[in-house]
Amino acid sequence: MILIVNTTTDRTITENLHAELMKKGFSEARTDESDGKKKETYEIVEAGERKISPCIGCNFCWLKTPGICSIKDDYEEILKKMIHADQLWVISETALGFLDHKGKNIYDRILPLATMHLHFKGKQMRHYRRYKQKTDFGLIFSGDAEKDYLEKWNGRAALNFEAKSLGVFSKDEIKEAVTCML
Amino acid sequence: MHALIINGSPRVKKYSNTDKILEKILLGMKESGSTGELYEISDRKQWEEIREKFYHFDHILIAIPLFVECIPGLLLEFLETIPARSTDRKPVLSFLLQSGFAEGCQLRCGEEYLQILSGKLGCEYGGTLVKGNNFSIRLVEGSDREKIVLPYKEMGKIYGKEGNFFSVDCKKFTGPEQFPGWVRVLVGLMFKTLAKKSFEKTAKEWGCSKSLKDRPYA
Repeated sequence: MILIVNTTTDRTITENLHAELMKKGFSEARTDESDGKKKETYEIVEAGERKISPCIGCNFCWLKTPGICSIKDDYEEILKKMIHADQLWVISETALGFLDHKGKNIYDRILPLATMHLHFKGKQMRHYRRYKQKTDFGLIFSGDAEKDYLEKWNGRAALNFEAKSLGVFSKDEIKEAVTCML
Repeated sequence: MHALIINGSPRVKKYSNTDKILEKILLGMKESGSTGELYEISDRKQWEEIREKFYHFDHILIAIPLFVECIPGLLLEFLETIPARSTDRKPVLSFLLQSGFAEGCQLRCGEEYLQILSGKLGCEYGGTLVKGNNFSIRLVEGSDREKIVLPYKEMGKIYGKEGNFFSVDCKKFTGPEQFPGWVRVLVGLMFKTLAKKSFEKTAKEWGCSKSLKDRPYA
């Protein structure tokens, strides 16, 4: 399953994605019961106007209520979907050459999907994943950004979860992004 | 030198590891005859004052805990609201980047962004003091905490004197970029024994009754 989280309020990006994915033969997760055939599914979460607070670094999700974030807002629904996702695509506005804070908050709040425990994996010290599901990361941005840096960052962010980067694309490169979806 | 010092951690001051580090930086600065005004991003009530003062200092230091390879969302939210520089004064913006991960290589991606960020904010880059292995600052007290934070005083002295983190001593302060193989084996063993026990002890003290590997949404 592909999970697409749109942190912008620009619905034309997700409309374009939707159209491209349908062309590719994907179906939306919630409509996947029609003909009984297994299809690759995707789900789009419009998070641009949802309440998603920043991570406050309390560490409760590691040490007090393992796997559960102490902040009660609209993020929990996204987190629950992530543990079933093969791919997570975040759509974000940019600021100061990077993602804007709404986009970054989606990543900062992923921490409940890791445990407190650490190990060395290849060249990196990493937290263990809490769930078996491995989720690769893709990024679609809207606005000016330091793209080379974003690509590097997305790769590193994915590494935290022993996953890989699916690439970084501007909103004008939706077709290219869709070629990297499953 | 009189610097604007911003704790960029979203964690409240009382439990902020970055705050404990900055206490020592400020002590060191004082020994060099410098001073600093400390503000906390975790307290939104302070944002307006920091915004007003931002371009009125020649030196700004932002101290940051590494959050998913870069700066925390809350700090980003604040920085997005800083108005473009309208004065001729171009402050030297330096950073202190700290993390739980111990090896220097873990912080380089975040460090790379900080150089980009200083340019975007119209400041001159004053370098980044990079140091890991700070996760337990909030979990320990007394001499155990001092052992971790005291070395930052020396770095504060250098910052107070030079107004940046470009010196060789600041670069060395990071420690090993990557542990040698035998250290990795030892540290790996420590994760499975001592560290595991210590985390479980903390969890119990915090009222946790579940396994730290619990899968609540499985």
